[in-house]
Amino acid sequence: MTRKRQALAVLLVAAAALVALVAASGGTAGHASVSGPSGYVGSGKPMVGSGGGFGEKYTAPAPTLAHTLFHANLLPAKGPARNIALAALGRSTKTVNYTLALKCWKDNGCSTGTGGKLTVAYVEGFGENTYRQMSKMEFILQALTYPQIGKIIYRSAHSDLTQAIADFKSVIAQHVNAIVTYPDFGDAMIPVFQQATKAGIPVSTYAWGYVTGPGSNYLTVVGEDTCKLGKTFAYVMNTQVKSGNIAFLGGFPGNPLSLGWQKCEQPALNPSIHVVANDPTNWDPSKVQGIVAGILAKYPDLKGLSYEDALFMSQGGYAAYKAANIPYQGVFTYRTDESAMGCLADKLKDPKLKIFYYTAGNSQIRVALTADMMKLAGGKIPPEIVFPIQLQNQATRDMCTKGYPPTASPTSLIPLSLLHQMYP
Amino acid sequence: MGRSAGASGRRLVASAFLVARFLPVWLATCALVVVAAIAAPAALGSTSWSYVLPNATVLAIAALGQMLVVMHAGIDLSTPGVISVGGNLVAGVGAGADHNLPVAILTALGVGVLVGLVNGILVGVLRLNPLIVTLAVGQIVLAWSSKYSRDVVTNQPQVPGGLSSWATEKQIGISNVFWAGAAITIVVALVLRYTTAGRRFQAVGANPRAAWIAGLHVRRNVVLAYTAAGTLYAVAAVLLAGISGSIDPAFGSAYLLAPIAAVVIAGASLSGGLASSTSTWLAALALTLLTQMLVTMGLSTAMQYIVFGAAIVAGMVVSGDRVAAVLGRGLRPVKPPPRPVGVGGQSTQ
Repeated sequence: MTRKRQALAVLLVAAAALVALVAASGGTAGHASVSGPSGYVGSGKPMVGSGGGFGEKYTAPAPTLAHTLFHANLLPAKGPARNIALAALGRSTKTVNYTLALKCWKDNGCSTGTGGKLTVAYVEGFGENTYRQMSKMEFILQALTYPQIGKIIYRSAHSDLTQAIADFKSVIAQHVNAIVTYPDFGDAMIPVFQQATKAGIPVSTYAWGYVTGPGSNYLTVVGEDTCKLGKTFAYVMNTQVKSGNIAFLGGFPGNPLSLGWQKCEQPALNPSIHVVANDPTNWDPSKVQGIVAGILAKYPDLKGLSYEDALFMSQGGYAAYKAANIPYQGVFTYRTDESAMGCLADKLKDPKLKIFYYTAGNSQIRVALTADMMKLAGGKIPPEIVFPIQLQNQATRDMCTKGYPPTASPTSLIPLSLLHQMYP
Repeated sequence: MGRSAGASGRRLVASAFLVARFLPVWLATCALVVVAAIAAPAALGSTSWSYVLPNATVLAIAALGQMLVVMHAGIDLSTPGVISVGGNLVAGVGAGADHNLPVAILTALGVGVLVGLVNGILVGVLRLNPLIVTLAVGQIVLAWSSKYSRDVVTNQPQVPGGLSSWATEKQIGISNVFWAGAAITIVVALVLRYTTAGRRFQAVGANPRAAWIAGLHVRRNVVLAYTAAGTLYAVAAVLLAGISGSIDPAFGSAYLLAPIAAVVIAGASLSGGLASSTSTWLAALALTLLTQMLVTMGLSTAMQYIVFGAAIVAGMVVSGDRVAAVLGRGLRPVKPPPRPVGVGGQSTQ
């Protein structure tokens, strides 16, 4: 009898959990806006740039540029690269179907319903964080501005190199017309890049996903000049820290983004500034916590830290400081601008916490897709499309932006109403 | 007199087996502390312990769950899935408000029970292979967790402040998480050792056929093992959520192999049978301390992986299971005693 009661109790707990689970997953779907501009347009004027070609207009609203680049003039300097950037970001004004975009994002691909003959793919080694998910939506929104695109494919290899290569081969075999990727595994992707290029499929990377041989092994790399980013980080450290111990954190071992800024920050630092740690975090907040805890154990007087991801430092990094009972102070330079970090800084209100950041650059993926499309239209694409750097100071420009999910970058071009449907 | 001497001899041999099985992890942990004191003294400083103890506790709780399953010759690969969904539910249901915390924790625990129960039924009742089936269930849970995380948690990744504050608070200079984990470990150890249900549970794990002949409910105990394991993973998820303060899509991903490594290094046999809660706890502590020591030493990532992997291999080589097997061979009589002969010259065995 007692055993039956015990079994009944377990079943009751399980049933209660199931009910709670269903209730928890219910969420509020809300009603989607049917359609709207594919990106942030603000007041929409004045327009920057002129001319056009290869199916594009080389012009974009100044508010759009200022929203995603901090300033409308922070465009690539060179002519063709500047034109591609303007054409891509200018597509924010085109109207797209938000319901379709949301469905495509949730289903990891879709038919656009235009009857277009082209298929485009966004293939990446890892896609399981908000940054990548937002990039996926930016890619979809950009693709929906092209009526000639009839199908959108998305693949994430969940951090598995073998799977990443298999995914790439799979989309080549499906005869896609254009590929955009972030090469999480760096030069290990060269053989499949070459295979796609040989098959006549343009491959572009964003977020400075630099793999050896842009222009030959693949079409182009889009992003900020990461070497300049590293030098700018060094400038901040030299002027703010002046002397003492600092640390570098990176993403996956060998990823081109981390290598790009680290190799240029290190030699540009004052001799009195010592880089006491340089660890990959796999862009995983739990790992960030463990590594920062290890660094603080040996160097509790750490004066600064450079890393790509502001969000993960606001999560794992802050948790490590808190657990170690060490004030969250020092000079922090980040490549991204997720709202959570700014809101944490606002909450702490500590003048000794100094944060300098760049944009997460989700919208760069739009430029990568447009570069592919212009190539298909017969355009000549430069091997590098490089955006200039301008770090922002949290003290003068708050990255905590009202209305944005804490894990999202406010410099993304995803319309806010759509973002709220993605993350209700 | 002769019988008494024989009984005490058998007890001595049994004690020797037990000591041989669980002693290596204690010695290895002591050795690790000595190495850390020489090579990376900062890893033994108070700042380091403030990270090591709570995180070792989370690993220990997950490993305790795995231990219960391993005692029945099973294995559970749904651990990351349960921890992921548990953490996400704490943040999602909690919605950043302390008054939601009890419901959030109960929901996370309930889901742990549910997943464990499903695993237990599939393995214990339907006799499916635990390696494959728990991996499959774990993947389903992980997929749901990923969806829930995207739909609900991304917009509110912070766990309720009450939980994170509790996790960072200390009693006698040590994190609350540690004390909670220590209490759970003691309860599990006492239940296994001193209650009828616990002894039955161990008996079924040691020899299911003999237990069945003795009238014990083998299937029920296997289902219980997986259910209890799922519950402990959910407890680990709640504690980890408190430590982290916020949830991310990769939450819990580090708990696939580490709990299994802790259980095996602690001296449990993957073929079932005896295991020790305290040794499992110690193994979890040793693994976490080793990780922290390697980071503190400033080794390159490649070297950290090499040293960590080598340490686990070394731990396996000197694991209690192997030592016990060697000791067993050494203590086995060279000549088997003559078999008692029954009626008609037939062996009674």
